[in-house]
Amino acid sequence: MLDLLLQAAAGLLSPGTLIFLFAGVLVGLVFGVIPGLGGTTALALLLPLTYGMEVTHAFAMAGGIMGAIAMGGSISAILLNAPGTGPSAATCIDGHPLAKQGRAADAIGAVATASPLGGLFGVLTLLLVLPVARDIVLLFGPPEFFLVAVFGIVTVAISSAKNLLRGLVAGGIGLMLSFVGYDTVHGGVRYTFGSDYLWDGIPLIPSLVGLFGMAEMIRLSIEGGTVAADAKTVKLDGVWSGVRATLRHWKVVIRGSIIGTLIGAIPGVGGTVATFIAYSTTKKADRDPDSFGTGRIEGIIAPESANNAKDSGALLPTLAFGIPGSAEMAVFLGILMLHGMQPGPAIFADHQDKIYGLILALTLSAVLASFIGITFVRWLAAITLIKGQILAPVVIAVSLVGVYAINLTPGDVVLAAVIGVLGYLMLRFDYPRLPLVIALILGETAERGFQQSMMIGNGDLSIFVHSVTSIILVVLIFLSLSWSFVPMLRKKFAASIAGEVP
Amino acid sequence: MSHKPSSRVAVKKVVGPMFLVALLLLACSEPASYPEKDITVVIPFNSGGAFDAYVRALAPGLQKHLPNSINVLPKNLPGAGGRRGASDIYRARPDGYTIGIFNMPGVLIPQLQGMKIGYELSKVTWLGTLGYDSYVFVVKGDSPHESIDDLKELGRNVTYGATGPGSTSYIATNIVNETLGIPFDIITGYKGSSDYLLGLIRGDFDAAMINFSTARSYLESGDIKALAVFGTDSNDPQVADAGDLGAPELANIRVVRMMGAPPDLPEDIKTMLEEALLAAMEDAEFKAWLESTGNEAHSANAAETAAAVLEMTEFYDQFRQLLD
Repeated sequence: MLDLLLQAAAGLLSPGTLIFLFAGVLVGLVFGVIPGLGGTTALALLLPLTYGMEVTHAFAMAGGIMGAIAMGGSISAILLNAPGTGPSAATCIDGHPLAKQGRAADAIGAVATASPLGGLFGVLTLLLVLPVARDIVLLFGPPEFFLVAVFGIVTVAISSAKNLLRGLVAGGIGLMLSFVGYDTVHGGVRYTFGSDYLWDGIPLIPSLVGLFGMAEMIRLSIEGGTVAADAKTVKLDGVWSGVRATLRHWKVVIRGSIIGTLIGAIPGVGGTVATFIAYSTTKKADRDPDSFGTGRIEGIIAPESANNAKDSGALLPTLAFGIPGSAEMAVFLGILMLHGMQPGPAIFADHQDKIYGLILALTLSAVLASFIGITFVRWLAAITLIKGQILAPVVIAVSLVGVYAINLTPGDVVLAAVIGVLGYLMLRFDYPRLPLVIALILGETAERGFQQSMMIGNGDLSIFVHSVTSIILVVLIFLSLSWSFVPMLRKKFAASIAGEVP
Repeated sequence: MSHKPSSRVAVKKVVGPMFLVALLLLACSEPASYPEKDITVVIPFNSGGAFDAYVRALAPGLQKHLPNSINVLPKNLPGAGGRRGASDIYRARPDGYTIGIFNMPGVLIPQLQGMKIGYELSKVTWLGTLGYDSYVFVVKGDSPHESIDDLKELGRNVTYGATGPGSTSYIATNIVNETLGIPFDIITGYKGSSDYLLGLIRGDFDAAMINFSTARSYLESGDIKALAVFGTDSNDPQVADAGDLGAPELANIRVVRMMGAPPDLPEDIKTMLEEALLAAMEDAEFKAWLESTGNEAHSANAAETAAAVLEMTEFYDQFRQLLD
């Protein structure tokens, strides 16, 4: 393996390939920063260009894009509360409050450190588990998908414990939205009002752009002022304190990376869930969970390390079976096909050199993107000083163009605007948006997983405790549910003791 | 632009008729000079799939065999299971600058179901066929079953995996089992062929119908095993084909990649596109691509394609009761 890695490194480090890698990093950063545009769009737009390219160059460019997207997406999440990509949405929760306090540079410093560390961790894990990749992928079937989805929803519901009822309302809305469209299990069409657009359901990316970016810009326009509450407190040179904070919280980095790699490896669950679960778990494990959401640096470190680690996880189903673990990987397999390689179970055996090249490109790209981020942090952080009446129209216009570019669908633009108003109302009346997002993503996975399990198990619920994986997941769900009652019970217990004393 | 009013009138007097003449000339010369601008090829799926790869691999050849060195630009319009792309092609102006690839019978089934779809396949100007993708009847690689008869003797319903009701894989599974008289259940909801392929390897169900181009490398690796191929003939003598099963009509169970243009495309433009398409499919580069990706070429000209559309419509119409 080592000689192959070295061989791949030698291939990657040739000047020609490095230029393509660097170009990929720049494209990835730009596509990451613009809300709506993400890795999938960037790769899909790039795919035709690679047709005339050498295969190594195409892979270097694809790796460059995939590794840099996370950094770009998180920059807009922090500065504008408008996550550039789905997986960066979790970074908004604590990243944007930091920007408001004038500490955007700290936050970006933390991102620039946590994301390459997460990426490295993911790659190392990937190389370690490659021999058993097939077994790992086969551990997850419909019952396990259902349980993973429930685990995700439960985790997030609990993390909004402060206003549980509002969290549940938001989660309920999210679930309802996730049921819109064609039911792929039974074939009915639900809540589309006869519209062809809604047939494919409520798409995630335009919803995220609306819920976070548009909503934030509406707020900024109504309240006026700048992103940073007080221009005097803005520190443009805080980047190193962000770097140091990340290194100090190395445990958070490792936890986030493990979660990212694991969830990334489950086909179809996706990076957005990985980062949200990393965030919620870190919040729950903290001594002071209520302070999350007000600008805790750990609230950035956890999702960011998961964000880059998940790419390695997503490679697992691809390498084991030639089946994409994420939308990005699906397009990546398309690049392979275009270059005359048939994706399939033998993909890793047949094209080891190229796969190692891609893995190295991914890692190198995350590091490069971080350096670029750190270099430009001053100018980036200065965005928080721009007046709302200038910033909002620019961000709204760019976001809507980005949303339109995903599928060239006008409906996506309308949806982003409508959800934007919903997002603003939620912001205004203090409803958490996190449960809505998670329910929107996982609702469909949960429903499909449940229905398929019922069909496979002939309606017998015991299918959910049929395998070791599913038993572990059930235990995890119960643990995380009871965990939230511990403080409550402790209080009651303390009260009852206090009551007995006199 | 500081003309005096009088001279402006004079200019108008001259420009008006000249413009008309130019317009007339343009209109007359159109067939001879087609194509004058880039041609868009609509792909009703996202980039990364087989339909996308076919079009992108073919585009350079198509460009080469058309005059005037214009570009052939693939455009992905995913959505609604391919119906959005199909209706987009159908509604485009019939000037030869918008053509596209159709997923058959994927876009045919909703038409037979009487859905509001925005196209009528019998009116499409068909240009040619890029290829067929036969369905293969597969079981897990280490399955004890060696033939379809083994499955019939299970003494219970055979379970299959497929994408949603109305999808090609779902309809194909229904038709095959009804025709061969196998009692069956379908586990629906898989997101695509590679998703239920993984389900089969994992052991979620007994068997599946899967298109050959997706199945091929998994058949080679031994992850799955073919019990029958519904092509016109099975290359592997060990594997039964539709004829061997005593149901030759099952050869219709396949995905066909057809190229078409909006209704009422002028005859000369149609001929030009048809010829360029046929020539592009004969190109060495395209053939090499087909070879290396394991796709088989089965080209057909415009008339054959139009006839195949009618035949497919008739075939699936027989199974109307299964479509609802």
